Amino acid sequence: MRYESQRVAYPYFVVALLLFGLQLVLGLWLAFNYFFTVPQAIVDVFPFATARAMHTNLLVLWLLLGFMGATFYAIPEETGSELAWPRLAIVQLVILVAVGVVALVGFLFGWTQGRPLLEIPRPLDLFVVAGVLMFLANVGVTIMRARRFTATQGSLLAGLVFLAVLYLFGIPFYRNLAVDWYYWWWVIHLWVEGAWELVTAALVAFMVIQLTGVERRVVERWLYVELGLFLFTGIAGTGHHYYWVAAPKYWLWVGGVFSSLEPLPIALMLLDTWRHMREARRPLRPRLTWVFLFGMAVLHFIGAGAFGMAHTLPQINYYTHGSQVTVSHGHLAFYGAYALVNLSFFYFAIPRLKRFPSDEYRSTLGHWAFWVMSLSLLGMSLAFGVAGVLQSYLERVQGQPYMVAQQPIRFWMFVAFVHGIGVLAGAVMVIAHLLTLRPEPRVEPAAEGARAT
Amino acid sequence: MSDRMAKLIFWVGTLSSLALFLALTFDTHRNFDALTHADRIDERVVAGKRAFERHNCNDCHTILGFGGYYAPDLTRVYTRVGDETIRSRIERPEVVLAASYRKMPQQHVPPAEIVAMIAFFRWTSEIENGDWPPHDSEVRWKSSTRRLLAGAVMSPGAALVNQENCLACHALGDAGERTGPRLEYIGARRSPQYVAEYLADPQRFTPGTSMPGYGQLPEPQRRALAEFVATLASSRRETP
Repeated sequence: MRYESQRVAYPYFVVALLLFGLQLVLGLWLAFNYFFTVPQAIVDVFPFATARAMHTNLLVLWLLLGFMGATFYAIPEETGSELAWPRLAIVQLVILVAVGVVALVGFLFGWTQGRPLLEIPRPLDLFVVAGVLMFLANVGVTIMRARRFTATQGSLLAGLVFLAVLYLFGIPFYRNLAVDWYYWWWVIHLWVEGAWELVTAALVAFMVIQLTGVERRVVERWLYVELGLFLFTGIAGTGHHYYWVAAPKYWLWVGGVFSSLEPLPIALMLLDTWRHMREARRPLRPRLTWVFLFGMAVLHFIGAGAFGMAHTLPQINYYTHGSQVTVSHGHLAFYGAYALVNLSFFYFAIPRLKRFPSDEYRSTLGHWAFWVMSLSLLGMSLAFGVAGVLQSYLERVQGQPYMVAQQPIRFWMFVAFVHGIGVLAGAVMVIAHLLTLRPEPRVEPAAEGARAT
Repeated sequence: MSDRMAKLIFWVGTLSSLALFLALTFDTHRNFDALTHADRIDERVVAGKRAFERHNCNDCHTILGFGGYYAPDLTRVYTRVGDETIRSRIERPEVVLAASYRKMPQQHVPPAEIVAMIAFFRWTSEIENGDWPPHDSEVRWKSSTRRLLAGAVMSPGAALVNQENCLACHALGDAGERTGPRLEYIGARRSPQYVAEYLADPQRFTPGTSMPGYGQLPEPQRRALAEFVATLASSRRETP
């Protein structure tokens, strides 16, 4: 950390981590609902729908707060200047967290926009927009004043502006259900396969430059290629959500062709990370930061690339669409790509924010946390995957009614639940570890060399 | 690879995909009205959509395959279970789904909203979306009409369906009305035993249903009817 204003990132990280924990608790409750018959009296006051709204909105909120915190950390170093308005960053955090709390309590009382993932009621959307505008103004003005532009911060800022603009398409009420879903995907798909990938690629490039000492020009050259491929496949790839929404038939071709290319940029990102690690001019320290960073590259590819690819072709998607197959892909992709990129960044930034003598920290608990959490999550996604294949076969191919086909799936949801306990345990360890990060008492000679900046 | 090349890949990739996407979006909008029968979207359908959102139905159910995966897809719910079943499930889920291992919340939805939601589901069931979902596919319903025609000659159950005019309320294949659930759906979920008992006294199973009792039919006839309904379950997808 070289700039005082980078400090505002820390409260963002803390809030994000706490929301992450809460998100997982609700996730366990959702899985429990699948194999256990919750009595009517409880369902009447706290239905599955409410818990799901909370689970997904907490996910979006903590990931976005993490991205914003990471941006506040990265932008001063990239521009070589203090943040324009550090206090505004704190005001913005307070507003967004307040919106989050009001929305979550509102869901409990049935106050909702009633559209999956976009449940935040419309009046609160105004505050979200206000918070995001503060954020963009703060970052934008910092960059303008410094007049130092890099591809990394360009990608970061472009991703964040793109993200904010797309959110607007989720606010109106649409009279036609098909049009509604058409634009719903502008928010959801173009976020996760467009804007968020820009942010992620930028954050990874930033960390790689800082940690490996590989020349910025080399890293950013490949960043351009990654981004070009992400957007080339991702934008038109939105078509894979338009197969069955009463849109014209050509979306079957466009969606099928472009989205079968979607694993390419993720594979390139994995390859680039691997190559930069091999060409590193410094030892790859601290080891745990690298475990998270490389783990992210691998699971991003498996979850978003491979699992997504598996059911993206229309011939397969006709049977798997809207089944637990989607759930399986969704969980591994969000974890592999976005949960882990945030956690990697926290491990990268927190020792610097706390001005540890070297960047080394005590990491035993963190290593355990990574493996427990990641392996459990992989197991959970596989259990969802089995449930999804069963559902596709029994319900869609054989034509069994939904509730008949769900019966054999309950066992696999129980398996997912058991793995979910592992995910929660691992996450509690990560949260505890990050919030109480301590410097390594003995400074190794290797670590001296790894001192960044 | 040179820096120039990298930047070129970025701009060409991004802009070509964006141009294609925006052009197709424009064209899709020109087609939406016809494909969704937008002329049938009246104020009641819109009110139904608002009610559907107000009660957060979509975070348990899917519609067009999107939403929570916790409850049946609603795209073709109208052709699957019909008017009255939709109504009773929203109105009295604690009664209608009492035996189910998965519950639906009692949300005290006002009657006007229920009527509007049924109109909304009716409109949704008619949109042309590539015959998705497969389990509610037109192709499948039509093949069960053919089974009925083929079976009517030798099956007393099929003859009874005709005689008792079941299709005045239930759908079967592409024939019949949409007041009660379609017979294939009943056949797939219920045993012949259950259906036979239900026929004798529907009120015992679904209090308040408009389904008349068939206690006056001799027991063997009720069983024949029930056996027939159970055979309607399409256990595999037939080639059209």
